[in-house]
Amino acid sequence: MADTAPFRRAIRHYPLPMRRRFIALALAAVAAASLTACGGPMSPDELKRSIETLESTAAEGQLLAGDVAGDRTKATFVRVPSRDLGDVVVHEAEKLNDAEAEAEGGVAPTKARAIELADRISAALGRIQIAPDSETEGRTAEETLSRLSEQAAQLAEGL
Amino acid sequence: MKTLLSVALGVIAAIGGFVDIGDLVFNAQAGASVGTPALWAVPVGVLGIMIFAEMSGRIVAVSGKPNFVLVKERYGRNLSTFTLVASLVLTVLTLGAELGGLGFVLNYFFDVSVNFFVLVALFAAAAAIYFLPFGGLERIFGYMGLALLVYLAASIKLDPDWGEIGRGFVPESHGAAVYWYFIVGLIAAALMPYEIYFYSSGAVEEGWDERDMKVNRANAFIGFGLGGLISVAILVASAQVLKPAGISPDSIGSVALVSQVPYGETGLLLAFIGILFAVGGATIDTAFSAAYNLAQHQGWRWGKRFKLLDEPRFTLSLAGFLLLGFAIAQTGVDPISLTEYAVIFSIPVLPLTYLPILLVGNDRNVMGKHVNGPVNRVLGWAYFGLICLLAIAAPVLFVWTNGGG
Repeated sequence: MADTAPFRRAIRHYPLPMRRRFIALALAAVAAASLTACGGPMSPDELKRSIETLESTAAEGQLLAGDVAGDRTKATFVRVPSRDLGDVVVHEAEKLNDAEAEAEGGVAPTKARAIELADRISAALGRIQIAPDSETEGRTAEETLSRLSEQAAQLAEGL
Repeated sequence: MKTLLSVALGVIAAIGGFVDIGDLVFNAQAGASVGTPALWAVPVGVLGIMIFAEMSGRIVAVSGKPNFVLVKERYGRNLSTFTLVASLVLTVLTLGAELGGLGFVLNYFFDVSVNFFVLVALFAAAAAIYFLPFGGLERIFGYMGLALLVYLAASIKLDPDWGEIGRGFVPESHGAAVYWYFIVGLIAAALMPYEIYFYSSGAVEEGWDERDMKVNRANAFIGFGLGGLISVAILVASAQVLKPAGISPDSIGSVALVSQVPYGETGLLLAFIGILFAVGGATIDTAFSAAYNLAQHQGWRWGKRFKLLDEPRFTLSLAGFLLLGFAIAQTGVDPISLTEYAVIFSIPVLPLTYLPILLVGNDRNVMGKHVNGPVNRVLGWAYFGLICLLAIAAPVLFVWTNGGG
């Protein structure tokens, strides 16, 4: 623990209103430092984690769609998790959209591709959510989600 | 045979304890993330709970004293109150997570609304607690939870590499913090404090005495052994299905999907029935544990063996804890994250829970000829040391790995 006694002795020489101002200034500085630490452009690691979430979600959707295609599941079970997975993807796309990314030499192009992938994954999941008992829709969604999961993996590897 | 059939207390304590809503997902995450090299952690944790459950059951059979009576007798007023408060906070948080989990599971069947089914789960749990005798609760939730053995069949049907599974039971040195996070979590999940509160109080409910030593051993070893077998099976099946696909499971739906892959709709239904009763069992375990602890600490008359209306303080606290759990579930907090936090942050409470059992088990004045033998003494102290180590390591690993993520 740092020895704060000299600081406390020094600050006692100042009148109370001025001491309060010191404390307010110190608190403002701490708040500003915290905000600076939270903000800033998106790092490649953060983007990679986000894309890996898209990859995992697409892969899980592919598994689910495979069971729809093979008529090996229940309609309500498909509907609820495909909706949940869709929500995960949309939330991830929102986070990506709101994150800052440097246009030159930064991760902006990859971020834009990730948002586009999220959009396509969400659409494919929507197909089995709407028609959980259609084997044809299941097969199409399975193929699409398999492709999108691979694309997400490649995108994450490039970071 | 009669002894074999009377293991319901051990089964419900184990299934409700370490294959509850959070642990089901945690086991699947361990399989998907680390794979079979994490397997050795399960028997380490299961052996620990077997030793302490057997000891606490033996103490009840000899002295009639459940866990929180020992806590009160062995600790001073301040430490026993601290242990009570900490255990109540963790148990009620877990109860909230279990009720929330039941809402999610029922919604997978009917797709109406999670919050609506949390309310249904509250009424169903309250009705079961009120109308069913203690033995009926144990048998219905314990034995129906065994539908989770579908994961054992699934892990065999998925044709795993048996050599790799065998090697998974041998601890290995590993540098990755995520690996150790899952190891610590798997051991801790088997040692959740409310399992021991429920088990020792359940032994009092069943009126065990010195003639029930065999029943106690069968409950501790077969009941908790079955729970451990299910944990291993979920981990292995998840390592087969989720890991190669790069899926990181974060919902109970992902866990159910694992048994759907080899067995289709039948596998899915069996998994959901097992999950429903295991999580229902955990709801019963946690609600009773909280009420037992409070009543035993305060010296109230308690137990399902009496008429609930004849013990208003115990009954009101049971109802109050159920309502508190319901309020937590209704906040919309993710039940999976909540139980994971509860597992990790329950570890600091573990030494306080297990120490009195060990002290009384070793005390010849209390236990007479049933005092711990040399093997039990050595294993008991070794596990107590491990629990103290986990108490330090768990929160550090949780922060370091960002919750295993």
